[in-house]
Amino acid sequence: MATHSDKFGYYIFTGVLALVALAIFLGFLLLPVIQGAQAGLDTWSAICRSLGIQAGSPAQPTPPVQSAAKPVSEVVWNTAVMRGLNAANKELGAQLAQDICTACHGQTGISPDPQYPHLSGQSAFAIYKQLHDYRSGVRQHDLMSPVAKTLTDEQIIALANHYATLTRGTLDRQLEVEADPRIDHLVRTGDTARGIPGCQSCHGIGAGGPVETPTLSGQYRQYLAAQLSNYAAGRRRNDVFSRMRGIASKLSEEEIRLVSGFYAEQ
Amino acid sequence: MRSLERLTLAHLWTGFVAFAIACLLGVWQMWVRSPLTAPLSTPDRYYQSVTAHGVSMAYLLTTFFVMGFGYYVAETSLARPLPGKRWAWIAYGLGLTGGLIAAIPILLNQATVLYTFYPPLTGSALFYLGLVLVVVASWIWCAQMLVAMAQWKRSHPGQAVPLAMFGTTANAVMWLWTTVGVAVEVLFLILPAAVGLTETIDVGLSRTLFSWTLHAIVYFWLIPAYIAFYTMAPEEAGGRLYSDTMGRLTFVLFLVYSLPVGMHHLFMDPEHSTGFKFLQMTLTVLVAVPTFLTVFTISASMEIAGRLRGGKGLFGWIATLPWERPMVLATGLAFFMLWFGGGGGLINMSFGMNAMVHNTSWVTAHFHLIFGGTVVIMYFAIAYTIWPKLTGWQSPNISLQRLQIWLWAIGMMVMTLPWHYLGLQGQWRRVATFDYSNPLITPWGKWVVVSLIGGVILLISAALFIYNLVAMHRQPARKASSLQRYAQSLHTPASIPASLNGFRLWNVLVLVLMILAYGYPIAQFFLNPAPAAVVHRVD
Repeated sequence: MATHSDKFGYYIFTGVLALVALAIFLGFLLLPVIQGAQAGLDTWSAICRSLGIQAGSPAQPTPPVQSAAKPVSEVVWNTAVMRGLNAANKELGAQLAQDICTACHGQTGISPDPQYPHLSGQSAFAIYKQLHDYRSGVRQHDLMSPVAKTLTDEQIIALANHYATLTRGTLDRQLEVEADPRIDHLVRTGDTARGIPGCQSCHGIGAGGPVETPTLSGQYRQYLAAQLSNYAAGRRRNDVFSRMRGIASKLSEEEIRLVSGFYAEQ
Repeated sequence: MRSLERLTLAHLWTGFVAFAIACLLGVWQMWVRSPLTAPLSTPDRYYQSVTAHGVSMAYLLTTFFVMGFGYYVAETSLARPLPGKRWAWIAYGLGLTGGLIAAIPILLNQATVLYTFYPPLTGSALFYLGLVLVVVASWIWCAQMLVAMAQWKRSHPGQAVPLAMFGTTANAVMWLWTTVGVAVEVLFLILPAAVGLTETIDVGLSRTLFSWTLHAIVYFWLIPAYIAFYTMAPEEAGGRLYSDTMGRLTFVLFLVYSLPVGMHHLFMDPEHSTGFKFLQMTLTVLVAVPTFLTVFTISASMEIAGRLRGGKGLFGWIATLPWERPMVLATGLAFFMLWFGGGGGLINMSFGMNAMVHNTSWVTAHFHLIFGGTVVIMYFAIAYTIWPKLTGWQSPNISLQRLQIWLWAIGMMVMTLPWHYLGLQGQWRRVATFDYSNPLITPWGKWVVVSLIGGVILLISAALFIYNLVAMHRQPARKASSLQRYAQSLHTPASIPASLNGFRLWNVLVLVLMILAYGYPIAQFFLNPAPAAVVHRVD
């Protein structure tokens, strides 16, 4: 079969471009102008918005809300904070820990008292978040709140770095199997019927949970149980999107005791 | 065994092994989503499995199949040795190494980001590096196809390239355009984040670049099926191709329309304006043109075959077609499923209706039906047609091949129709488990179980497919001819337009359309940079 040169290809080429021109006319002119007019937009704004060179919806400004929103936490995760946590002033951190923290949290971050958490090996992001929240007042504690209010950003970052191994999403990869299959299931899979995700969905390595997710393994049973109870009762409320309040309020006291014990023994 | 046979078999077997593993994972995933208790089920493992399933099906099965089949078509349709066969083996080695490298972090749960990546989630750098190697391997294949066609044209001046090779080269040209988007995304945005060079990632730009690839990649998978429709099915049915020119036009239009349309995956994304979404939607509608051209041409070709076999009346020719031949059966079933899949696709690409089905199971069901129902079923048919020519041995039991194709079609319909329905009911996608005790969604449970049954039928079909292929490697089977024949057209035109014998004009058109459709939408990220997201590592 031979070939011959003709205008066939150019007809198709031109036809396609004509259709594109029609789409451009409809998409950037006709539809935005007609629909924009219904939404109270002038012609020029409607065209600019269809091109994406003027900000979009809402067409009508939302009436302002009178009450000021109060954030659950004032922590902002950005690269400056995260870079700081990775490269903090080690000497400052060690000195501050010695001066401020050792009385309750122990010389090496291993707390002697089960009502205070171990800090050794805790995620720097988690420590930063909690110290920041104590300082801003969204989390409260008789001892921690006044201590945190004396700290600067740099000091908080240095302390977080001091105690941390800088790992995040820090559950052990191989969790020991829990004797009670209900608890094992709760930790790994959750309970869909009650809308409870598995603990590992956020607290597992690489799970993709929030950056501030703390390490739970090896923590004091009493401390974990107290935090879950505080979340459940609404006494602690610095969890963004009420993630932990939502979960803890659905756990029974028995489950709180067993899950806390499970992590304490890891 | 000659070197072409070894080369083709190596590629196709690699793809089909990945396919078999992916089928097994797919059934387990459907089981996890159902009200029945699945073994080893945790959300973590579910997403890990979805990643492995997607990578195996979308990147490994397809790329190795397209490459292997392309080498086969190049040598058999042009009737001359494939140029640079050593490069083909190098590409195979690269692709295989890449696939294995990507598999390691997936198995270690360090790349659970699904096959579409979803930045700012960032997995192990090895995962992306492995996939880059697979793509580089496919680029070598593209170069070989272009060289093979150019050499043939040089030695046959003024003659039309055989249709099978024209379609294969159209796919290679399209794939080179297609991979630019994902290559730029991975090399300049994701890999720097994965190795720790950057701390943030522009999610809008990443998604836009992936959308560049995301629709055309589907046509990369689909074109071998279309090559079979045009050049193998009419031959197997004992007829003639109704129009060779229509085939060329179809491949050219796929090249043109597959690329400037990817933004229909981003209809609900905030980073683009409605005007550009509308423009790309309009171009998406035009993809229906080559699809309808094909439905018409192949139906007409089959009618010729049916009437040659004595079929009478308006529909009598359908009954006289040789449905016992796997290629004919698969073509019929693929067309049947294409109506459902294509219809669903028209809903997805409609800007307004997309809002109703976006992020629901409807979309997952749609792409499974199109991919499994039209693409993979034709991969089976192609394999059954060329395997005897590759191994030299006929199938000992062709009825098992028919059974396998029937099981696949039935399984695909049983799996995807309830899945579509669930999407319309609002069942969300990318979710591992559902609370079926919730009265709002309790009625979904039984339909998910029906889908699971469809999945099990598909798994049985996949296992039977592997068995059928292995059977054609065994000595006791009957000897087969190694001659590959492609369908002749009914009225061979004296000559065809030169524009349908090459890609220069069409590349210019693609360039113009891409500048119009993607120029400003990509430029805006540099003119007015949006706040970037902090990289979220999962490794």
